[in-house]
Amino acid sequence: MKVFEMLIPMTIEGLKTTIGVFLVTLIFSIPLSIIVAKLRMSKNKAIANITGTYIYIMRGTPLLLQLMFIFFGFHFVPVIGFAFGRYQAIFIAFILNYTAYFAEIFRGGINSIDVGQVEASTVLGLSKTFTFMKVILPQVIKNVMPSIGNEVITLVKDTSLVYILGVADALKAAKSVSNTYSTFIPYIFIGFVYLVIIAFLTKILGNVEKRFSYYR
Amino acid sequence: MTLIVENLSKSFGATSVFSNVSFSIEKGEIVCIKGKSGEGKTTLLRCLTTLETPDGGSIKINDRYLYKEDNGGIQTASKDNLQEIRQEIGLVFQSFNLFPHMNVLENLMLAPNFLNKRSKEDIEKRAEELLKQLGMEGKGDSYPYQLSGGQKQRVAIARACMLYPSILCFDEPTSALDEDTRGQISEIIRSLAGQDIAIIIVTHDNAFVDEIAERVITMSGGTIYES
Ligand SMILES: Nc1ncnc2c1ncn2[C@@H]1O[C@H](COP(=O)(O)OP(=O)(O)OP(=O)(O)O)[C@@H](O)[C@H]1O
Ligand SMILES: [Mg+2]
Repeated sequence: MKVFEMLIPMTIEGLKTTIGVFLVTLIFSIPLSIIVAKLRMSKNKAIANITGTYIYIMRGTPLLLQLMFIFFGFHFVPVIGFAFGRYQAIFIAFILNYTAYFAEIFRGGINSIDVGQVEASTVLGLSKTFTFMKVILPQVIKNVMPSIGNEVITLVKDTSLVYILGVADALKAAKSVSNTYSTFIPYIFIGFVYLVIIAFLTKILGNVEKRFSYYR
Repeated sequence: MTLIVENLSKSFGATSVFSNVSFSIEKGEIVCIKGKSGEGKTTLLRCLTTLETPDGGSIKINDRYLYKEDNGGIQTASKDNLQEIRQEIGLVFQSFNLFPHMNVLENLMLAPNFLNKRSKEDIEKRAEELLKQLGMEGKGDSYPYQLSGGQKQRVAIARACMLYPSILCFDEPTSALDEDTRGQISEIIRSLAGQDIAIIIVTHDNAFVDEIAERVITMSGGTIYES
């Protein structure tokens, strides 16, 4: 049981990173992604193309590479005399990456709303912003919840990528203990920890979906 | 005159939908616009309600220009005026376009609350009153998906009437209705006209035209004539 004496405190410590990265990413990338989706759909070609390129890069390269690029990349350009700290790099990479994925989901969701909704709002004298916030967005959120939920669950597991910058998350904790005691048990244990987190999130996501099920 | 349309023209790209369309409508009049499919009836209504911008000509509502002829081009009312004039003309869409995530009362009160010209109490009172007038009493808490086609249409009418329009346009109001509900809708339209609202109805339905129209305008070959 020596294993657990070491494993449990280390897991708790690691979970702080796992959950911290998860929450910070979600809190920033969801609102940002709605803005990015609108920019991607802008009538201004330049804005739409720049946003499109950003999304293409973020979805077209591994998050692991983006983490390395943002953290180590700047060390290789000494002229700037500037580099991100580990946690800064982690938050920037995760937020940029997940904003791109969420933005594509929101873009699809916004496109799926009948133009009649905007036209009715126009004829009723509602402003564009008000129409988006009160008429379009609530319907979009209902439609995109299942896809957002998928990404949220992927995000929990993606947080383990922070090991590449030498930051200890829950999975890294298991690995250390496993190496110290030459046992596989920590991996099994951490697998269950992930499952518990996912079960909890699935429940929350289900509740959110239910809150939108009052209409069809 | 409540509505004066002069020399209105509209094309999409190179294809002209109509040109030189002129007519005017008094308050309380019921005017039907007929015409074959694709003649531009919906497009005309969309120009009247600013969903499309005409290419030339003018639209004047209660002595204020919505669009004004300008050196062969067209000038749209200034932003503040546009907002004001737009409220004078309502549209009941063929597909109603109710807000599915809001109940009937919320659908009715959204725009007047946003425009914020009357007190919340007045707005709610008006909504209840309209629902009663339209035989929808007790349906304020229902969501659009819980209503029949005819009921949705009445909510759409009530929603437009919340802004006290002087003109109310209908695009194919009988397309989703059976005989009985058709009778009900013509009664409702007549009573709105009785309240001095000018009514413009675009329709294919000749029986309905015979039943309700005081004037009939036909669109054909890119222009209109009145019979
Ligand atoms: N947004 C658009 N872009 C290009 N062409 C359009 C557009 N909207 C309408 N049209 C064209 O304009 C013409 C008139 O269309 P409109 O919908 O006004 O006809 P309508 O008289 O209402 O027909 P219906 O009786 O079938 O409803 C049609 O040829 C249509 O293809
Ligand atoms: Mg039509």
